[in-house]
Amino acid sequence: MRLTDASVVIRPRSAWEAVDLGVLLAKQHAGLLMLSWAIVTLPIFALLCLLLWDYPSIAVLIFWWLKPAYERLPLFILSNALFGSTPSLKQALKALPGLLKPQLLASLTWRRLSPTRSFDLPVQQLEGLSGSARNQRLVVLGQRDAGGASWLTVVGVALEIALMFGLISLFYMLLPAQLELDWSWDTLISTDTHQWLWLEHLSNLFYALVLVLWGPIYVACGFTLYLNRRTALEAWDIELVFRQLRQRLTGVAYAMLLSVALLFMPVADNAMAASEAAPVATDPNGPDAPRLLKQPLTSEQSQESITQLLDQPPFEHRETVTRWRFGDAPEDPSAEDAKSLDEWMKKLADLAQLWKSVDGVALFFEVLLWTLLFSLLAWLLWRYRDWLNAFAGRLRMPQVRRYQAPEQLFGLEVAPQSLPNDIAGEVERLWAEQPRAALSLLYRALLSRLLHEQQLALKSSDTEGEVLQQVHALQQAELSKFSQTLTSHWQNLAYGHQQPHAALKDELCTGWRQLFERGAQA
Amino acid sequence: MPPTPSSVSATSPTLLDTRFKVETPEGIDLILRPAGVIPRALAFGIDLLIRGALLGALYAVLALFGQFGMGLATILMFLLTWWYMVLFEVLNQGRSPGKQVMGLRVIHDDGTPIGWAASLTRNLLRFVDMLPFGYTLGIISSLRHPAFKRLGDIAAGTLVVYRDEAPSAAVLPEAEALRAPFTMNLNEQRARSALLNAAKTCPARAVWNWRAFSLNPCTSPPNRLNNRSTASPVAF
Repeated sequence: MRLTDASVVIRPRSAWEAVDLGVLLAKQHAGLLMLSWAIVTLPIFALLCLLLWDYPSIAVLIFWWLKPAYERLPLFILSNALFGSTPSLKQALKALPGLLKPQLLASLTWRRLSPTRSFDLPVQQLEGLSGSARNQRLVVLGQRDAGGASWLTVVGVALEIALMFGLISLFYMLLPAQLELDWSWDTLISTDTHQWLWLEHLSNLFYALVLVLWGPIYVACGFTLYLNRRTALEAWDIELVFRQLRQRLTGVAYAMLLSVALLFMPVADNAMAASEAAPVATDPNGPDAPRLLKQPLTSEQSQESITQLLDQPPFEHRETVTRWRFGDAPEDPSAEDAKSLDEWMKKLADLAQLWKSVDGVALFFEVLLWTLLFSLLAWLLWRYRDWLNAFAGRLRMPQVRRYQAPEQLFGLEVAPQSLPNDIAGEVERLWAEQPRAALSLLYRALLSRLLHEQQLALKSSDTEGEVLQQVHALQQAELSKFSQTLTSHWQNLAYGHQQPHAALKDELCTGWRQLFERGAQA
Repeated sequence: MPPTPSSVSATSPTLLDTRFKVETPEGIDLILRPAGVIPRALAFGIDLLIRGALLGALYAVLALFGQFGMGLATILMFLLTWWYMVLFEVLNQGRSPGKQVMGLRVIHDDGTPIGWAASLTRNLLRFVDMLPFGYTLGIISSLRHPAFKRLGDIAAGTLVVYRDEAPSAAVLPEAEALRAPFTMNLNEQRARSALLNAAKTCPARAVWNWRAFSLNPCTSPPNRLNNRSTASPVAF
């Protein structure tokens, strides 16, 4: 055992970190460990199943009980792999009988249920201790990390159960739905039916498969716990650093010897070296010239180690990229290829010359193409002008519509210019012969006044009733009353052809004068 | 033989270790120690027990209120199941009570404290880790990943690490300082001071062994085992 050969970093860890290191260690040698475990355990499982076909529970109990026997082979592999000499599968299997011999009975009987099984195994197998010596050793080792080993076993039991049920439920999920399975729990539980034996053996097989994964990890975790304890007890980390220090210092001693020997070398050698080096014309005082020749670390050596350092990560990052490509690899460019390439380049140059001569043509085409582009754009704009108006026009801000007073309402002229100045007088004059014209004039005048004096926003689509509603909204009692009366009489006359009686003339004219002309006169 | 810098040879990348280095832009290596499946399973077990106890107590109290109480208990169960971890992780420096007991905490991959997004992701993806039964996928992923991540951790970019205890100030021995005849690098200085500290705390005999070994590095290290078997494949 040489600590400097260890393939793990040796430093004192907490118990949990030691267990984690075990997981990593098992992962590093996962293929070998799991394969050897499977080769050893699965035949035993098959044999047990065949022998005890009618008693699957007893078969799996015996299989479980034999676990300490399986665990010796992974420990052998790991202990060798730790110091760099990983055995091959054949070597490992050959070593198995020798590993099984010592203390197998004890392992399988009174030590079977020990919670620190994985932690104790290295003492027994690697240190070869037995009896009271083993007990004393375990007392010393177990002062600190034994708790971690017990928890490892407890969690290991839980993990085994979880993984096994995971596999079983995965199997159950993968059963095709077409497979009509009326498994009810009471038929599964009733043991008298022999047809479910295979199912029990199958779930036992899942346990055996889970152990292929977990068994080596469990052993590796116990092993690293043991290593960690010994690292703490025997200060392996300190020892390791001092060993490296010794290597370094002896190396320095050799270097000093060499440099002393160089000092006593004949001078002629130096001269020869100088004459050979002369054509390169290196500056003897430059930064690349060898310096510090009498020191333990010469400049050349330091340069060399610097370049070595710069060649390693993190200064250098190399990666291998694997890609698919066509099978026929391109041939090396021959002289012919080079010549043809040369000719081709020449032709290209000629073509460029020709191109320059036809610059005018190019300009013409350039103009033509730009014109085409712009006319295409213009045509597009014109072609879709309606669409643009309809949709792009909506993008503008909504604008306030100016109210335009209509010229006509119900076919009546309502512009102020079309009305006579003295409306009431005109009405009185017309009333006798043309009552229809008189009433229509009055109504027109009312509408005109409403539009231009009261600033009512009447539309040409309004009906008489709607006009009245707007008048009421003004909340002028007299105006409302007058409009009401006038409108009803106008409607009676215009649509019902009922002649207004004569008394109405005075009432309306007085009302008109009071409402509109008094204000104008005042 | 040129004296190669021993810091390089000491930490050759091929050596197996559980430590995880995060290099900051300043070129400083932050050393994180990811936690494996065993302590994490224990922490989860503790959290499960706490949640179970809380839920049991809640049900016992709320059962007195009939159907309303049951409805309330269902809501509380939802909160406790899905938010217990998230709230503790984000608001308590990445430590749920179970992780607190086991000396763990959750952080981002780059060593920064865990945030809401990452914590929610890793805890919602517990559902995936639980498939098909009892965290099977989570266990397998955690056993196979170099930093012991389960699927939720991989998705959220989080890492469960051991908490670092605050370093205690080194106590220097009262002695006259002597200059070493050769320069020692950081590792060697640390080893020497660890040796001196051990010398103060350990039994005298062991110290004597160490000192004898350290003063004369050319001898082999002392045998502490009288009963060493040669039959074992590796002479431990």
